[in-house]
Amino acid sequence: MAKSVIPIGPYHPLQEEPEFFTLTVDGETVVDIDIQIGYNHRGIEKLSERKTFDQSTFVIERICGICSTNHPFAYTRAVEDIIQVEVPERAKYIRTIIAEGERIHSHLLWLGLAGHFLGYNTVYMWVWKLREEILDVMEILSGNRNSYAMFKPGGVRRDINAEDIPLVIKKIDSIIPTLTRLKKAIIDDPVLHARLKGIGILTKQEAIDYCALGPTSRASGVARDVRKDAPYGAYDRVEWDMIVTENGDVFDKVVVRILEMYESIKIVKTCLQNLPDGEIDLNIKDIPPGEGIGAAEAPRGETFHYVRSDGTNRPARHKVRAPTFMNLPTCKTTVIGETVSDATIILAGVDPCYCCTERMAVRSIKGKKLYNGQDLIRLSQEKTETIKKKMGIK
Amino acid sequence: MTREELLKDIKDRFKDDIIDFIDTSPTRVYIEIKPESLVKAATYIFKDLEARFNIASGVDTPSNIEILYHFSIEYLNVLISLRVKLDKKKPAVASLTPVFKGANWIEREMHELLGIDFIGHPDLSRLLLADEWPEGVYPLRKDYKEWDKKAIRDRGV
Amino acid sequence: MKLPKIRELIEAIKALIVGPYTSKFPFKPHEPYPSFRGQPVYNPDKCVGCLACEEVCPADAIGHEDITDSLNPKRKIIHYTDTCIFCGCCEAACIADNEGIKLSNEFDLAFFDRKTAEESIEKDLQLCEICGAVIACKDHLKWIAEKIGELTYSNPTLYQSRLKSLGIIDENITSVLKDHGRSDRVKILCARCRRETTLTTV
Repeated sequence: MAKSVIPIGPYHPLQEEPEFFTLTVDGETVVDIDIQIGYNHRGIEKLSERKTFDQSTFVIERICGICSTNHPFAYTRAVEDIIQVEVPERAKYIRTIIAEGERIHSHLLWLGLAGHFLGYNTVYMWVWKLREEILDVMEILSGNRNSYAMFKPGGVRRDINAEDIPLVIKKIDSIIPTLTRLKKAIIDDPVLHARLKGIGILTKQEAIDYCALGPTSRASGVARDVRKDAPYGAYDRVEWDMIVTENGDVFDKVVVRILEMYESIKIVKTCLQNLPDGEIDLNIKDIPPGEGIGAAEAPRGETFHYVRSDGTNRPARHKVRAPTFMNLPTCKTTVIGETVSDATIILAGVDPCYCCTERMAVRSIKGKKLYNGQDLIRLSQEKTETIKKKMGIK
Repeated sequence: MTREELLKDIKDRFKDDIIDFIDTSPTRVYIEIKPESLVKAATYIFKDLEARFNIASGVDTPSNIEILYHFSIEYLNVLISLRVKLDKKKPAVASLTPVFKGANWIEREMHELLGIDFIGHPDLSRLLLADEWPEGVYPLRKDYKEWDKKAIRDRGV
Repeated sequence: MKLPKIRELIEAIKALIVGPYTSKFPFKPHEPYPSFRGQPVYNPDKCVGCLACEEVCPADAIGHEDITDSLNPKRKIIHYTDTCIFCGCCEAACIADNEGIKLSNEFDLAFFDRKTAEESIEKDLQLCEICGAVIACKDHLKWIAEKIGELTYSNPTLYQSRLKSLGIIDENITSVLKDHGRSDRVKILCARCRRETTLTTV
């Protein structure tokens, strides 16, 4: 039978970031999914070859807005791997503090967006209000709310003043009671159980086959974390646990992210209280020819940088791999077989480093109905309302 | 297995295929192998040694085009990189997508940015570049020239 | 089923009492923290005009223009505020004790016309006395002379700049006889003219 497809393309007045998912549906069930990316390709790897090693850190930081610390972290570790040096102790602790602070605010951002997709707009507003405290902390420590400009091959650029530390610890302590209340509210809610349990399951074998990373794989029982497997920074000097659950559905991904926030808070406080004295920078002058690899754990998984130098003061080749590159193809197995109204939350469960569901074009095999991103969010919110009515909750 | 046993095992099993073995740092090993034995070595490392495939990086050097496949073995904290060197005029190598699905997208990206052909890949379509990008122009090569005359190159004021 | 909702009610009541988290920004001014990184500002008294900030800037947001055709030649250092990424590399690289350019606390930087998005200062420039090529800013030569102490007196360009800035040089005596002879060796020259006068034997 002849189908006419009218694509609601990647550049649409209602969309925020361009990506293009095409779901083929049969009635209510998703039958196939096609992913097209590349609208945000900026040529960063080529740009990095024209800047010096030090200037390239700033380009790398702007690859992403919310996981912006881990890219320079991995890049500076790769450059230090070429010359096989270790940075001073104080620099390691400062780097860890900034990286964990960013993990807290990134997970809070995701939690708010997940609430918005399900129809719980109050969760969205409250969680983002909580996030402002963490952004204030980052402004005190580094000078900016995002894009901290703290990393440098050989150490960090700026120091933390001792008189700022009590204020920072007070601000971090003030979010713990609200976070605990939120955690209990989300984990006990029967509507969320009905909505999220058993949806979008990624089995352990699939997670290994697709080489998934970060909370996406830890929710499926695959215990992978760069901070435990190949410790760097101050992670081996602080006590913390890795959160792994077994089921692999979207509910587990929520639980993993919420519990990880507690561990991050613990790490930041311990590091701030035990900051050692000393130098913050090794003053590296030139980089000999060689190659190096650096990895860091971003909120979404492992970032991987490979740098090759040929003796000049610019990299000869710089390869960047963001964690979403390996996590996104897992959507092919998790979405197929589910209903259309669950598609938004499953695709957001991977926590792509963009708001992916704004750019979906859903076409139905039977009939000519065409959904866009706003329609899918509305369908998802309506499903929550029906479940609530069925369970007798207002 | 300890680190020494693992490396000795790889060296013995593939002794005809290994050209070079660099082992100077406790956590990084660089092995250069012949392009024909790539699938054999990668399958062994992925399935039998239970390594995780990280990513593959293509490099354009003055003499040839290299591809490095990075695998990480987590319980030993070792990262093994397999290097293959390909001819610059027509670079081609067997695809690893039938072995594990994680290699699908990265081979598409290397095909359009560096011009490497992957034999046996199910679908070598465009991943990152725009549709109006001309064929045969590979941005990551060192002899790439700007082809778009209307692009703005300075501050734009 | 009612019990969980009481827990959330505490948060709602707290929000009602404390009020919204946002401040009324344009009507009430906002003071950022002291360590906030705002727009870089030049200090004309401390800046020596060496252009280290231009070399190091990752975003190419600093440029310069040498105006050599007037009676007092000047170097204009321009900072393009719309390209700046507020990283602080210029402040870290400044040779004048990191004070020539400093990051202030200003964040309210909107403008309507992109051509007006630049800030500049001017420094006096020293030209070669024979060919007129640009040597460096006068303050930069003074800075070098102070830094190397007695070795200043091995290079006529440096010691003449230093003595001129102290005001103890007689212009009439030193600027006479502009041929490539021995008298030229005691003038302020650019590197090329210095080489030519040193190698002449006349």
